[in-house]
Amino acid sequence: MIWKRAAYAAGLAPRQVRALDPPGESALLDRRELPEAPVLTQEPPEHPDGLPPGPSGAPGPSGGERRADRIRRRVRDSAVAYRLGFRVLPLGAILALAAFVRYRQLAAVGLNSDEAVYTGSAEALAGHHGLESMFPVFRAHPVLVQLLIGQALRVSDTDWTARAVPAALGVVTVGLTYLLGRRLYGAPAGLAAAALLAVMPYHVMVSREVLLDGPMTCFATLALYCVVRAAESAPRRWIAAAGAALGLAALSKETAVVLLAGLYAFGALGSAGRLRFRHHAIGLGVFTAVFAVYPVALRLSAVTRTGQNFVLWQMLRRANHPLWFYLTDLPSVIGPAVLLLAAAGLVWRRRDFGWRERLLLAWILVPLAFFTIWPVKGFQYLLPVVPALAVLAGRTIGELWAARDGAWPSVLSAGRRRMGFAAAAGVCAAAGVATLAVPTWQRITPSSSTAFLAGTGGLPGGRAAGQWIAANVPDGARLLGAGPSIANVLEFYGRHPVGALSVSTDPRNRNPVYTPVANPDRAVRTGEYQYLVWDSYTAARSPYYAAELRKLIGRYHGVAVFTATVPVQTPAGASAVPVIIVYEVHP
Amino acid sequence: MSRWGRLAAVAAACAAGWLGTPAAAHAAGPATTTPIRHFIYLMQGGRTFDDYFGTYPGADGFPAGACQSLGTSAQRAACVKPYPLHGQAAPTLAAGSRLIANQLDGGKMDAFVSAYERQGRDGTSAMGYYDRTDLPTSWAAADQYVLFDRFFSDAAFGTVANRSYWISGAPAADGGNRIPAAGLGNQPTIFDRLQAAGVSWKFYVQGYNPAHTFRAPAAGRLDDQATRVPVLDYARFLDDPRLRGRIVDLSQYYRDLAAGTLPAVAYVATSGADERSARSIPAGQRLIQTMINQLMVSSSWSSSAFFWSYEQSGGWYDQVVPPRTPTGTLGLRVPALLVSPYARRGMVDHAQTDPTSALRFIETNWRLPSLTARDAGAGDLTKAFDFTAAPRKARLLPGYAALSASTAAGAPARTHVASRLYGVTLALCLALVLGVALSTWWRTRRADKSSHEQSADAADDADDAESRPTERAVGP
Repeated sequence: MIWKRAAYAAGLAPRQVRALDPPGESALLDRRELPEAPVLTQEPPEHPDGLPPGPSGAPGPSGGERRADRIRRRVRDSAVAYRLGFRVLPLGAILALAAFVRYRQLAAVGLNSDEAVYTGSAEALAGHHGLESMFPVFRAHPVLVQLLIGQALRVSDTDWTARAVPAALGVVTVGLTYLLGRRLYGAPAGLAAAALLAVMPYHVMVSREVLLDGPMTCFATLALYCVVRAAESAPRRWIAAAGAALGLAALSKETAVVLLAGLYAFGALGSAGRLRFRHHAIGLGVFTAVFAVYPVALRLSAVTRTGQNFVLWQMLRRANHPLWFYLTDLPSVIGPAVLLLAAAGLVWRRRDFGWRERLLLAWILVPLAFFTIWPVKGFQYLLPVVPALAVLAGRTIGELWAARDGAWPSVLSAGRRRMGFAAAAGVCAAAGVATLAVPTWQRITPSSSTAFLAGTGGLPGGRAAGQWIAANVPDGARLLGAGPSIANVLEFYGRHPVGALSVSTDPRNRNPVYTPVANPDRAVRTGEYQYLVWDSYTAARSPYYAAELRKLIGRYHGVAVFTATVPVQTPAGASAVPVIIVYEVHP
Repeated sequence: MSRWGRLAAVAAACAAGWLGTPAAAHAAGPATTTPIRHFIYLMQGGRTFDDYFGTYPGADGFPAGACQSLGTSAQRAACVKPYPLHGQAAPTLAAGSRLIANQLDGGKMDAFVSAYERQGRDGTSAMGYYDRTDLPTSWAAADQYVLFDRFFSDAAFGTVANRSYWISGAPAADGGNRIPAAGLGNQPTIFDRLQAAGVSWKFYVQGYNPAHTFRAPAAGRLDDQATRVPVLDYARFLDDPRLRGRIVDLSQYYRDLAAGTLPAVAYVATSGADERSARSIPAGQRLIQTMINQLMVSSSWSSSAFFWSYEQSGGWYDQVVPPRTPTGTLGLRVPALLVSPYARRGMVDHAQTDPTSALRFIETNWRLPSLTARDAGAGDLTKAFDFTAAPRKARLLPGYAALSASTAAGAPARTHVASRLYGVTLALCLALVLGVALSTWWRTRRADKSSHEQSADAADDADDAESRPTERAVGP
């Protein structure tokens, strides 16, 4: 370790010296030296990497001044080159890739129902008049994300701007995942985790949409990083920061509260690094203070009932997906490679199972268990767990990289070992990224589907239909669609109120923000609605209401005045399939 | 704007109308002198202008200090001021010709209440009025389009008389308010002119019963439909299938709108929604709202004009003395409104007009000869239009639902408070995380520095330790 001594002599800090370590070595060093160390009654001097201070009493250079200068220069040059080649450039490339897949053709397809609701609320917050009645600011969730999007919309009021905010936070999440992976398992693991998340279809799809889950995941990942820092060193300060970050996550979307249970499970199931109960109490206190903004803002805005009604409905509503929805639908979009790598790493390094792995698993499994049992399931609800999953997968790749310097398998020479494990790590990383990138590319290409799953992308034809309505439908006219999803999209783009047939008249069975049409036939007959809208998405999901709508169209002399189509490839060739049809009706 | 510019604008507007409504243009037939290719005229029951728009801003409504004497010996000094009738089931005033003549009192206009009192009836209701609360659709139409405050009924009294003027510009055959047993004879109507010119027309009748005509009195008296629908009082309109086929139920109006076959000229007579009684006012408002809104959402809107007025005073108070014209004295003012994409926005038209003004407009627009001297000399409706502008986008007329919605809507959420609270929280949280990170970095840097110094000291010590024996070796 003479070169290390030379590095100290060259004026490098211990942290910088550690950067010169072969990556796997430093990672293993981190993991073995710190985590399960007995807790000190007094906090030790802090160190960003969790490393003990540099080697005191190391022998100094043995040569003359000239030789020392030469070594100093060489060490400095190699440190810069190493940083550039193994950290900055790969990370920059990963972030650029993450940005590319998140911003490519971002506004090619119009907003879907949820996006329309959040963007409508954001516009109302930004002071754009006319949407408050259709998209009340205090509808169901906290409004932190809507507020951020609203500020962006003040600059440029377009679909692209609205989507650019969560997409930017998605890229930030990739960066945070790198920091998290590097902090836990070293730079190679961090880079691998960031690369996997950068092209993971699940994260790419959701962070390309105006949804609350992408920003919530960003803040949640920041909170997880702070928890790791707290578990390693300076628990009081970092756990307070973690509480604040998790509070922001919950102010983005209240379902982030479930992550608290994950942290509780982490603390309850064994040693939590340097964290003790009193530290958790500090974090919980900060979280509570931050999250209290949600009810306080509702009260100050005199709309307390909105939140209460929504919570009640969420607790009592019927299941919208089968019990195993996440286990059957998510693996394909998270990526089998990610799941396999994460599982393989846990098995392979089972002897190293410590607080880091327990923290990540608690962060993943508790929300998974909760939302599996909880009747209300949204496609994007489990997004906050995927950075942790990517870190576990990245850990495996990092361990393969680090194994180059190990002694196993002893039958191979050191050179072959080194080459073999480096190749294995490279192949795993490349295969993982490639198997994710292909479906991601397909997903970010504008869809030609006439069916739709909430949270999976924009709604083809919705923007065109809404813009036609805005341009051609008289002010004050009302439209009636089959379901609330299409109603939201048409309200947003069309700037006209749109009712929905499928909204139940029973308050227990409907989202309290929707108003039911008690007697649609009478409503059309008395001129309450002048237009009926059929759409293929609702027709696929609720054939009954689509059929009822058809009856009304026939009964009231419906005349198709606008048809939105999407090009669909059929065995017979390309054809334009109608997805939304607007009918003018007369009693 | 220059003359040529105006002509170009009119031509462009005409072109826009034609291009926008191919089906409607086909149904409308011959070319018109204005972009209006569909003219719809709805006639309602007995109401005066002051009864409906006496409090409308900018209109010639109730004069200051309006108060009608009760007129009885005991209460000669007492008078009745205009008062709102919101939600009150005011009695139908059932005004006969003599009573209305007494109300006018030879032009003094001071016996609207006392004329009833003299008959031993309560006449205070004559001073009741309605406003936006009761007439949301009509008032909204006045806000957005044209309200006429000098629109007089053609005859002081009588449904038959006024509706005869409505379609023919002349009183009923015998000059009274009665349909002769042989019908209204051969008096020409606007529909004869349209038929001869090949211009499409229809008469829409609410609750139409083809059997109820002047030839088929029900229960010993003429059915109300024959009174409301004057074309059913002409033998030729009943006997000629080409004419009879154009008298249809009101439901056909909506089907024609849907099919784009709205005729060039359409007259509409209502029954249950005629606004004669207090109870029928909401029905009338809903009907007007539905008819106009359906027109607005149809392809015909961009080339249409929807006009509606009220046939006579019905016993209600109005302050303006009926004017004399070369063809006779008109009746009291009645409400009249025009809705069209070319109608001037929020205009109160003070020009003197009457139902035969609509006949004159139709005759001018489709180049038809006048029916009588009355319509030939009637006030001009075209001033209520602005044909130099492009047709404006429709804005549906609100109804009672809009009123209840605006009442139910609570105070708007104070979003700025929440915005600031969220903003401050976000800033504080990010500052906390950043502060912790920076403080950690600063401490680490200090720790690095001290450890570096320790390393350097240790290196010096090591150098000393290494050099000392050497020194000793080379020493003496």
